[in-house]
Amino acid sequence: MVDVLMAILVAGFTSGALYALATVGLSLVWGSMGMLNMAHAAMLTLGGYVAFTVITSLGLPIALGFAGAIIAGAVAGAILYFAIVRNLLKNDKSTFEANVMIATVGIGIALENAILLTYGGQPLKQPVSIVGTFRLGPLTLPWQNLMIIAVVVVMMVVVSLALGRTRMGRAIRATAQNRDAAQLMGVAVNRVYLQVLMLSGALAGICGVMVSSMTQLSPPLGNDPMLKAFIMCVVAGLGNLPGAVAAALGLALLESFVQYALGARWGFPSLLFVVIAVLIWRPSGLFGRAEIRRM
Amino acid sequence: MTDTMSRSSMSRSAKTDLAISLVLIAAAIALPFMVDSRYILGQIVLALFYATIASQWNLLFGFSGIFSLAQMAIFAFGGYATAMLCFYFGWNVWAALVPGALGAVLFSLVVGLACLRLTGVYVALLTLAIAQTMYLLIVTDTECFVMVGSVCRQFTGGAVGFARFGDLGTRALLRAQWLVGNYAIIAVLFAVTMVFTYAIVKSPIGLAFRALKDNPGYAVARGVNRFQAQLLVFGISAFFTGLAGGFYAAHFQAIGPGVLSMSQLMFIIAIVVVGGVGTFWGPLVGTVVLVLADELMRESGEFRTLGLGLIIALSVVLMPKGLVGRFGDLVHWLARRRANLAESRPADSKPAVSNIVQSPAPAGK
Repeated sequence: MVDVLMAILVAGFTSGALYALATVGLSLVWGSMGMLNMAHAAMLTLGGYVAFTVITSLGLPIALGFAGAIIAGAVAGAILYFAIVRNLLKNDKSTFEANVMIATVGIGIALENAILLTYGGQPLKQPVSIVGTFRLGPLTLPWQNLMIIAVVVVMMVVVSLALGRTRMGRAIRATAQNRDAAQLMGVAVNRVYLQVLMLSGALAGICGVMVSSMTQLSPPLGNDPMLKAFIMCVVAGLGNLPGAVAAALGLALLESFVQYALGARWGFPSLLFVVIAVLIWRPSGLFGRAEIRRM
Repeated sequence: MTDTMSRSSMSRSAKTDLAISLVLIAAAIALPFMVDSRYILGQIVLALFYATIASQWNLLFGFSGIFSLAQMAIFAFGGYATAMLCFYFGWNVWAALVPGALGAVLFSLVVGLACLRLTGVYVALLTLAIAQTMYLLIVTDTECFVMVGSVCRQFTGGAVGFARFGDLGTRALLRAQWLVGNYAIIAVLFAVTMVFTYAIVKSPIGLAFRALKDNPGYAVARGVNRFQAQLLVFGISAFFTGLAGGFYAAHFQAIGPGVLSMSQLMFIIAIVVVGGVGTFWGPLVGTVVLVLADELMRESGEFRTLGLGLIIALSVVLMPKGLVGRFGDLVHWLARRRANLAESRPADSKPAVSNIVQSPAPAGK
């Protein structure tokens, strides 16, 4: 019984850590720009495949694979900004929310398909993986899961330091709180948007490497974590980073319990029921503050 | 002054719409006599389904501002309901179409009750999650519900879906020409859908939908009940979407979870975006353009999806109001140029008078 419980907890914490990374990337972009990045899934996939190429095809060390994934994600974010976001921001502000969502859907499809055309549809094995287990008293923990949790914790610390302690982070937070006021105070809002998209892309790249190390590389790799990350963002309240991490861990644990108790197919529906229940009770999410809009 | 002018321009736009519809009806009648290829006619029938679904998504998103991503889920619900009524109860397809559509309305009301208290992207995310849940539950359904011969059949049809539950009766009636019969039926479905959509958009309740989209705060302050109005438009569009789903199942004599895939939903969204969000003819224009583009890209095979994605992104960036909006800009530009020319010519002789006479013309546009 304890074994089963531990297995569920380990699985839940591992997927929770992965979802948290995906959720933070999405939530960061939403919070500071009011933009829902539907291409996030494809950026996840991109990171996974770039790490694969660097390590397997070029034969470089694993650390460079991570670096490649981070750089690829950041570059994808920058391209997204210059090709799409910058142009859409020039238009009417009220249509930005929907337009950017549709445009990033298009980019996401194109990127996923480009990956499919380059690497083919057959699943590939992500070389970033550690075999073996680790015994702690009566518990058996796979190294792989520990590595994922460790990487995610490191990334969370990096992100919170970057947001809390640096000039860039202060500008991002100011823009998130009030874009117009930040701009009036001399924050270069456009540069903040570029930085946020690159940061979120880098997080997506890392997350893609981690997700593919748990399963396998395939072009639709990012879709499932992204959809769940969306749900977690909504439960937490879009744009709330600590809330997003808490919701990701909580919902991932719930998912793995439900999958154990009722079978794998009820995992996702159970998340949906939770999100609907939460939104009926609190329409702007668990930790979200109700938005007051002036006419 | 402005009131009479807007009314006269409205009646002019109504006349334009009427003229366009008459031309389209004539073209639709002439089409089966011009097209010999079964493949082309089949693709045109498929395009009519796309146009019907897209027009209803446009009613939701373009005219009412509800960013629902459950459109294909509602379409699939209508199709599945029709197919299941025929499959399990042996109903005639024609008898099952309207109950199937009403089932889709019920489903949409449940979805709407869960989602429509929210706004904007929250609606989009929740409806996407609902559609995805429906897909997953159907695909992973492995429990035997009935045995058909020696084959186990799941309640939802599982990953395979339903087939051979009946058709529209055109095969028995028209033999080799059955496709023309189906074409006529689906063309009528599309026409009826467009007429109803037009009536809704131009009616007072249509104005309420638009007001809620353009300025929700103001509309609510003027006494429009947002939740009720949006639930209403959700139900209306679900009826036609579900009906189209039933006809789709009957035309192809099959329905499976494939219609719930993300790429189908994206194709519908692309149609509306390329054609023109919130324009009446946008979905039709978008369907023609995208189905043609899709056929052309079929030659290049594997780059089809890539091209489609880029088309979506580029058209949002380059023409936010779609092709219909761009066309409108062009007409305006030409009219303004003509007005300017007319203004500059008499300007040599009597500038003061011509200014007074000419100035309201551009303002009325």
